[in-house]
Amino acid sequence: MVGPFAWFKWEALFRDWTVFAEGLKTTIMVAVLSLALALILGIVFGVLGTSQWKLAKLVSRIYVEFIQNTPLVIQVYFLYHGLPHMDVMIPVFAVGVLGVGVYHGAYIAEVVRAGIDSIHKGQMEAALSQGFSFWGAMRHVILPQASRIVLPPLTNQAVNLIKNTSVLAMVAGGDLMYRADSWSSDNLYYGPAYVAIGLLYLLLCLPLATLTRRLEGKTGVSS
Amino acid sequence: MKKFGIILTSLLLVAGLVTGCGSTPTTSDKGTDGLPADVQAIKDRGVLKVGVKVDVPNFGYKDPKTEEITGFEIDLAKAISKEILGTEKIETTAVTAKTRGPLVDSGDVDLVIATFTVTEERKKSYNFSDAYFTDGVKLMVKKDSGIQGLKDLNGKKIGVAQSATSKKAIQEAADKIEAKVTFMEFSTYPEIKAALDSGRVDCFSVDGSILSGYLDDTTVILADSFSPQDYGIASKKGNDGLAKLVNDTIAKQKTSGELDKMIQKWGLK
Repeated sequence: MVGPFAWFKWEALFRDWTVFAEGLKTTIMVAVLSLALALILGIVFGVLGTSQWKLAKLVSRIYVEFIQNTPLVIQVYFLYHGLPHMDVMIPVFAVGVLGVGVYHGAYIAEVVRAGIDSIHKGQMEAALSQGFSFWGAMRHVILPQASRIVLPPLTNQAVNLIKNTSVLAMVAGGDLMYRADSWSSDNLYYGPAYVAIGLLYLLLCLPLATLTRRLEGKTGVSS
Repeated sequence: MKKFGIILTSLLLVAGLVTGCGSTPTTSDKGTDGLPADVQAIKDRGVLKVGVKVDVPNFGYKDPKTEEITGFEIDLAKAISKEILGTEKIETTAVTAKTRGPLVDSGDVDLVIATFTVTEERKKSYNFSDAYFTDGVKLMVKKDSGIQGLKDLNGKKIGVAQSATSKKAIQEAADKIEAKVTFMEFSTYPEIKAALDSGRVDCFSVDGSILSGYLDDTTVILADSFSPQDYGIASKKGNDGLAKLVNDTIAKQKTSGELDKMIQKWGLK
């Protein structure tokens, strides 16, 4: 009787550790770049969502609703399998950054919008009356105050983003999940493979999750 | 202190995974009719549980109109069920490359008959029967790509299925003629076909008989054929009575010519 977690399967895993290291590298790179993209998109569309300008509000609303209400897998499939039929061939790494970044950008936009809405509107009025422009007031008065409130949910989004990079496994993206699928499907040592990458994801996410809890304590959100 | 507890708990959980699952006791006592216990269990249940493919035309394919799963491997499963139960009573479970191993391990299926290529490495984890079918790895490309053979694939991307041995077969052949190829792995055959259609890969490579099910007006299957692959029926290690019975049945079907008849019926040769 050979169990899915037999020792010789673990040995094979340690022998082939470079396969998983490659995957970890790709996962981290995609996560960092897509987080940067998501933050940019999130802040821009989050601020637009609170502006008085009707059209900007509408555009932000469409972006957020469209992305939040369709599965990430379909968005990534569209970028990977769909766009080439329109003669747009994005490399798979960029598909990962773009797909995950745009997806989480929509969630971050909502986080940012809620943060800004929580700042009393008297602050904006006061800043505008002092001669600040809209963006100047945002930059120097509103966002610094809002950032304290949005930081905990923002790190929470970063954790989700890391986990969601595993969608790349479905389009041969070379990330951690893909490497585990590929390695374990050749030799069928799936037990150690998925436990090992589970731990690696935990290793990436746990520090961020801990940071979230710290920040919540500091800003008094949890109390 | 609390954090230390969390870390300790996770370590214990992992340790449980490493050690705990390897030691299920096995029984190979004889059942009431002198049958091995694992075969007797199936007989008592009155149905043979088989993992089959549902996306490989002629081997195991679910017709979307009739919802019926048919193919060469289904017929083979029925033949084995007749040997054990006396009637053709099978319960099928759809499997993919990724699920067929775990389903055997968990006991959800007794046998996996799903274009499962036998390799030395895999024999360590499962009992495999003698080959009931042998097939070579082939290449499918788009007609307008102008690719004639493996050497034209130098520097190109080849789409293969996860858990398929075609990657190794092609790599070896490519190394011989010093062609550089990269592989993209997908979990299902339709996904590879989609990747070929969208130009994400230049070539779709799996076992020839599976490939023929995906041929259409825009694609062509090249004449090259690589390292023949043996398909075997997989069962759980420890269920050795069942493994022997499956092997005996295949041998019987081979000598009686029934197996060839089945292969011809599904147009596989």
